[in-house]
Amino acid sequence: MRAKRPSAGRLLLGVVLLAVGLIMLAPLVWLIVESLTGEGDAFGIPPNWIPKPFTVQNFRDIDGLIPFWRMALNSLIVATISTVGSVLVSVLAAYGFSRLPFRGREKLFALMLAALMVPVQMTVIPVFVLMRNLQLIDTLQALWLPALINVFAIFFFRQYFNTIPKELDEAARIDGAGHLWILFRLIMPLAGPAVAAMSILSFEASWNNYFGPLIFISSQEKMTLPIGLVTLQAGQGGSSVVVFAAITAVVVPVLVVFLVFQRAFVASITSSGIRG
Amino acid sequence: MSEADTAQRAPSVGAGHRQWTGFAFVAPATLLFLVFILGPFIAAIVLSFFSWDMLTASKFNGLGNFRQMFGDSLLYKALANTFIFALASVVTHLVGGFLLALGVNRLTGRALSYFVRTSLFFPFVISWAAVALLWKYVLDPTFGVGTYYLGQLGISTPAWFTDPNWALPAIIAIDWWHTIGFTFVIMLAGLQTVPTELIEAARSDGCNGWQVLWNVTIPLMSPTILFAGVITFIGAFQIFDPVQIITPNGGPDNSTITIVMYLYQKGFQAFQVGYASAVSLLVFVIMAAVTALQFWVGKRWVHET
Repeated sequence: MRAKRPSAGRLLLGVVLLAVGLIMLAPLVWLIVESLTGEGDAFGIPPNWIPKPFTVQNFRDIDGLIPFWRMALNSLIVATISTVGSVLVSVLAAYGFSRLPFRGREKLFALMLAALMVPVQMTVIPVFVLMRNLQLIDTLQALWLPALINVFAIFFFRQYFNTIPKELDEAARIDGAGHLWILFRLIMPLAGPAVAAMSILSFEASWNNYFGPLIFISSQEKMTLPIGLVTLQAGQGGSSVVVFAAITAVVVPVLVVFLVFQRAFVASITSSGIRG
Repeated sequence: MSEADTAQRAPSVGAGHRQWTGFAFVAPATLLFLVFILGPFIAAIVLSFFSWDMLTASKFNGLGNFRQMFGDSLLYKALANTFIFALASVVTHLVGGFLLALGVNRLTGRALSYFVRTSLFFPFVISWAAVALLWKYVLDPTFGVGTYYLGQLGISTPAWFTDPNWALPAIIAIDWWHTIGFTFVIMLAGLQTVPTELIEAARSDGCNGWQVLWNVTIPLMSPTILFAGVITFIGAFQIFDPVQIITPNGGPDNSTITIVMYLYQKGFQAFQVGYASAVSLLVFVIMAAVTALQFWVGKRWVHET
């Protein structure tokens, strides 16, 4: 735009933004450092920025207090089923709404869209009663079943499918292809970015969900990680370093996955506007 | 789109068959929608006219729950806290997100730009449970890292979560740390759609930086700003996880109780299901009003693209 010579203003801007970045990261660095510090020396004043003495004992101690690996597995099961299931249900519906005319189609679609305004807190009590009647309280099904319907994903996929020329599927129809073939072999590969965006968002929403397990889950063996962390902190006899180790064990893998898929993560947000 | 649809809907050979194919594709979603969204929505409205504890038989209560809401001072407190939280959240996110996006957009160093973008976005991908627990320690009055460095700057800090004046502001700050990455990313994406030619043109017409910002960039960004504002408001209005985790009983003097937390207490701790449903209906009405307001503001104020 202007001359390339770095002006004083530009230098100041760089310094300020660098400071903002460091301050944003500081709590996370502190978290990781303390979780790797021996119990007697952790949480010193002034704060430690290097783990001394270095130890991984805190991580070993987690499993004695909460069934961490069981919880991680539960999180993974619920997030995977929620993601795969909701994407599948949503692309089928989106294909119907985009490609297959049937009576009442526009009305049904409008009804679903209107329901986007209904906050989850309004439906949670009747859903709880329903789950109780189905005897699904304190099961993982109670967590992923309601996640299978994602109206926003249906809307998002339909929008995307509408941008894919209908001549393509008509050509395939003439060659004798069925609708399922067209959807999964023709349209889905073309809708890659949309599928990636929705998969990332629903996996993240499920992985981070606290409200659902708080309401539906009571036994530790069925808990997912977020609720497990809070249970650990709320006085299972663990010291603060062990709590920090558990938080680190939950947070660091997520950050690593984010770093690897950063572009896709950010695109999932800018393309959908979902705040999670 | 509608024209094409009408054309396709015209009766043709095999229309009946196609009709059923269409139903089949939307059937799973429709069934789940009825069971988990529409059905519970209607049930919540019906329940709001009853009193029920989930154990004994429910009793018709007419408008009793709604009348009770009018005299419920804790509900007013929860609503006030929620609105304060939401408004503070919107203002701090929009201003912060916009300024950060503006700054990062001007950075020339690629490595620095990557570092700032990544560190702003990092907290957003972490679960609220982890964030809330971490910040409980960061702001701990004795060994918190935040307390220590604020003290070094000569700022004496209150005992955030036990001080009725400071518990809610602390949670506003934590929420900012957690979600500013989202606002920033949306703002940055919006900023990058502002055509540079327009800015160049304004510059060559003699506008200074502020004039360009005020007369070109911000008006062109108005759809993004409105969108980010509404999304932030809606998210903030439903805030629950951090307040529940950090201040499980609503904080000192109920200074952090929010509307969803109140809903949770009434529905799942006191088992006043009918009353909780009536409160949830109020939440829905407020959400719907905000959405309507968005459309109205969007039509009147926002630059058309």
